[in-house]
Amino acid sequence: MIQFSGVTKRYPTGYEALRDVSFEVAAGELVVVTGHSGAGKSTLLKLAAGIERATRGSVVVNGQNLSSLGETALAVLRRHIGFVFQDHKLLFDRSAGENVALPLRIAGTASDETGRRVRAALDKVGLLAREKALPITLSGGEQQRLCIARAIVNRPAILVADEPTGNLDAESSRAILELFLSFHRVGVTVLLSTHDVSSLSQLGGRHLALRAGLVESAAPLGEAVPG
Amino acid sequence: MNAWIRTHRHALGDALRRLAAQPGASLVAVLVIAIAVTIPVLGLALVRSVDAAVGGLDTDPHVNVFLTLDASDDDAKRVEAALRAHPQAAAVRFVPRAKALEELKATTHLAELLANLERNPLPHAFTVRTRTADPAQLAAVRTAWLQLPKVEQVSAEFEWAEKLGRWTRFAGRVLAGGAILLALAVLFIVGHLIRLQVVTRREEIEVSQLIGATAGDVRRPFLYHGALQGLAAGASALALATGLIAWMNAELSVLTSSYAYEFKVVFLDSSTVLAVALGTALLGWLGAWISVSRELRRFAGQP
Repeated sequence: MIQFSGVTKRYPTGYEALRDVSFEVAAGELVVVTGHSGAGKSTLLKLAAGIERATRGSVVVNGQNLSSLGETALAVLRRHIGFVFQDHKLLFDRSAGENVALPLRIAGTASDETGRRVRAALDKVGLLAREKALPITLSGGEQQRLCIARAIVNRPAILVADEPTGNLDAESSRAILELFLSFHRVGVTVLLSTHDVSSLSQLGGRHLALRAGLVESAAPLGEAVPG
Repeated sequence: MNAWIRTHRHALGDALRRLAAQPGASLVAVLVIAIAVTIPVLGLALVRSVDAAVGGLDTDPHVNVFLTLDASDDDAKRVEAALRAHPQAAAVRFVPRAKALEELKATTHLAELLANLERNPLPHAFTVRTRTADPAQLAAVRTAWLQLPKVEQVSAEFEWAEKLGRWTRFAGRVLAGGAILLALAVLFIVGHLIRLQVVTRREEIEVSQLIGATAGDVRRPFLYHGALQGLAAGASALALATGLIAWMNAELSVLTSSYAYEFKVVFLDSSTVLAVALGTALLGWLGAWISVSRELRRFAGQP
């Protein structure tokens, strides 16, 4: 489903965030990317979601080589990948419901269908009662769950999450990770990053460790990390 | 309804909401553009009115030959023969004095006054189409024809009409140049207003792009915004021009009441009205397109 082959990402400043990274994620798999700050986790996830382009090598998602896609095709592909941002990227002048509806508005989904799906997504993350609330009135954990609701509202086959438990207390972190596990259990491919290795035991799945832009260790395809 | 139509409906709704959210600012923006558009619209109406008036005048090279009041029909025949024999005369039309009086009654407001006259004050006359419009040659023709018996006056009065025609054509060209400059001003005004909107909504644009909005998706509501602003400005400009033309006609009516000839500023025809409204909408759309595209490139170039 996701295939990185010899991927290098160099930013215009000259900083090389990833170097010759190769790995595969099968459909329905859960892969956890770990590493310290600056290891290249966020860059790897952005490349997988088509938010960034590789400088060298190829990123193939759902059989499409992202390097060969134009800007418009890449944007359309992003609609089918749910992305949970580290800094949430919520619109603070819109209600929780309107934030979740944004991907559906972009895709031109009918109003009644939009309303139904928004409520279902909010219900899934436990925020249905806060549909009309502004994000500023939500706690950090609730904002993260709102971001997850926006990521799943288009029913993506791939869910990518960048440090979804960063800055959350232990209880909120467990609840968020449990959400990702529930998506994984229904067949969604989940690729998430964390710098908190203690969460690996809760998540299971496969583990990809990055250090300074290089893959330090990777459990082979289909093989779970021991708990 | 398919997704494409829904995205356009959403964009239109978004643009209308944005315009309604700031009614004062939207009204000022529309009025500023409308004033810029009113100037060429009014100019066009004036040029077309003058052009229509000049079109009714005879601008072909011709000379009018008037006989003395006591000239008889036989005298007129002799003069006609002499005129036809002249090498510069292309065509000769005789206007008997009775016919000239009837024409004067029909084309002016003097019918009542003329009816009270004891005798016809107009002489027999000839209108001669000349082969030349050269002033020197026409002067020679005039001198020669003044020597003919019973000829009182020879005039070549078409020149002023021809000059007026040239002036209206020149005014039309000046107007076209001015309209181009004002169209650029409209582009600039709309572009600037839309740029402010884009900068205000930068965060929303960036989030939308991250979750799958194409450049077209981002541009769409702004294009509707620009087009709606342009359309409203075009309609306002036409309304302003209509009011000004009505006022000018009222003033002209008073001014020309003492003349036999009545001049009126005619309003633009329906196809031109439609072209003005759609043209300003298109200018608004284009201004928005240029502005949003430039801002998106700027956003992409920034970290």
